[in-house]
Amino acid sequence: MSGRILTGYCLLVYAFLLAPIFVVVAASFNAGNFLTFPPQGLSLRWYVVFFENEVFMRAIRTSLWVAAVTMVISTAIGTAVAIFQVRYAGRAKEAVRVAMLAPLLLPEVLTAIALLFFFYAIGLGTRTMAGMIIGHVVITLPFVFMNVSAAMESFDPAYELAARSLGADRWTRFTRIMLPLIKPGVIGGALFAFIISFDTFTISFLLKGIGTSTLPIQLFDYLRTNFTPEAAAVSSVSIAMTVLAVLFIEKGLGLKVHRF
Amino acid sequence: MTQVSISHLTKSFGAAPVVDDLSLTIDHGEFVSLLGPSGCGKTTTLRMIAGFEIANSGTIAFDGVDVSPVPAEKRDIGMVFQNYALFPHMTVGQNLAFGLEMRKVAPAEIAQRTARVLDMVQLGGFAERYPAQLSGGQQQRVALARALVIEPRILLLDEPLANLDAKLREEMRGFIRDLQKRVGITTVYVTHDQAEALSMSDRVVVMFGGRIAQQGAPDAIYDRPASRQVAGFVGQVNILEGMVSGSDGGRAVVRLPQGEITVPAASVPAAGSKAAIAMRPEAVALGAAGEPGWAGTVVSRQYGGNLVDYKVELAGGSTVHVQCLSATPVAPGTAVTVRPDQSRLWLLGA
Repeated sequence: MSGRILTGYCLLVYAFLLAPIFVVVAASFNAGNFLTFPPQGLSLRWYVVFFENEVFMRAIRTSLWVAAVTMVISTAIGTAVAIFQVRYAGRAKEAVRVAMLAPLLLPEVLTAIALLFFFYAIGLGTRTMAGMIIGHVVITLPFVFMNVSAAMESFDPAYELAARSLGADRWTRFTRIMLPLIKPGVIGGALFAFIISFDTFTISFLLKGIGTSTLPIQLFDYLRTNFTPEAAAVSSVSIAMTVLAVLFIEKGLGLKVHRF
Repeated sequence: MTQVSISHLTKSFGAAPVVDDLSLTIDHGEFVSLLGPSGCGKTTTLRMIAGFEIANSGTIAFDGVDVSPVPAEKRDIGMVFQNYALFPHMTVGQNLAFGLEMRKVAPAEIAQRTARVLDMVQLGGFAERYPAQLSGGQQQRVALARALVIEPRILLLDEPLANLDAKLREEMRGFIRDLQKRVGITTVYVTHDQAEALSMSDRVVVMFGGRIAQQGAPDAIYDRPASRQVAGFVGQVNILEGMVSGSDGGRAVVRLPQGEITVPAASVPAAGSKAAIAMRPEAVALGAAGEPGWAGTVVSRQYGGNLVDYKVELAGGSTVHVQCLSATPVAPGTAVTVRPDQSRLWLLGA
């Protein structure tokens, strides 16, 4: 009996989470001229419009590129700090953790404004994409850090001692013992970094380079003046990109390294 | 084979020294156990030999060469950890090959040596398995094989049997001992289990508070403990407090509430000084009431299969444990006599 209630409850949660996605995707196949649900007839016309829209295409390329760069930088920094925090920080462990999670506590818009002032103060400004990428790294770092430090906590230091006793130097111990064993955490963190960077709006809006635009910003811009199903098509493609990125990173880099 | 000489080794974490001015020489091919309660410094000593901890002062030398400046990865040691620390993402074969790869051994030779050592630990054919697919005892043997396949100078074992069940633990004692003799490797074994230390070692080093309390062959440690602390830690012991009342040749006459008793003593303390006699529970016999010996009453009986442990309250007030073969049970409350084996008593200072 309680099993059935639980199943029903889970289905409701899934419905709640997935219904908006379903509505967006369904609306994107709308044959009519306006963003409505249920769709008025089925058609791929808005996808064609979208793929022929050079502005959107440029924005999606920018978003993918920024997300990829952010992922690499954030994963490298976050992983290094997580290893330091768990293994070497000693008494500073809690302080390091709080510092790393601070961007989560601050409203994103405040982080963005603070960075904006800072970038102009140091002369970096917003002429390049550097500022936006730094901003994305700041907001994605906590996610990489949390994932990797959790993996590090369950990484038994005895493995490293064993490798040492067998003659492995520091680099070999890192690449052949530690990294493979904390890999699920690193990949999980990298995924978060990519997806959050790809989807974020606020920080991109304030820090984007002059003349550049990411997909969420472009979409927002578009929706201010238009209300066609093209917006749904953009969203659907964005969702598909995210799912593809997840699949690619999971399968491509091999999340399942342990055969327990 | 390698000789290890440790001299005046000291290590402290914070204020109190964990290892305190410890000196010890381990001979070529010798099996030495460091035995003591937790916190006695035995594991820290082992980790310093391995190079995982750096001593505050003192030296460790392998064959006369000071290894203090040599990092762990260059010391050429084989180590077995309490939880085995087998690399979970590598197969048994890859675990064994790891140390050989670090030594740049050719792949063909790696395969050959790995197979040979796996046979030695009776795990031939297990090379493709992952550690998680093995039982505790098998993992333990893989850990041994991984430490031995690199043909290290010294084998270090840190409570390697602590995670096994009782029966397997006893089997593994003999297995490790035989393997060590066959390979002939200098071995340091850390344990808090006196039965392990006594049954496996050439020499047992009993440690308390970072210092060596006593060292010697297992039977010497058991039969002639140097102090109450050692006697109490290595096996069970009955201690009866009394007073020296005189001497009889090389033996001391000690007066106990139960009567006088003569005890062999290297040097007899002055008459009137406090002393105690010690005896193992199995060196005491139980007799029917009225037989010669000390009168007492059985308080409790603990059945242990082949042996029974009786707790007997003596007429003078103290209690002794008597351990005997479980032939005819004696019920608690029964009046009995207790007769110590005079040749197996020893004298303890006050």
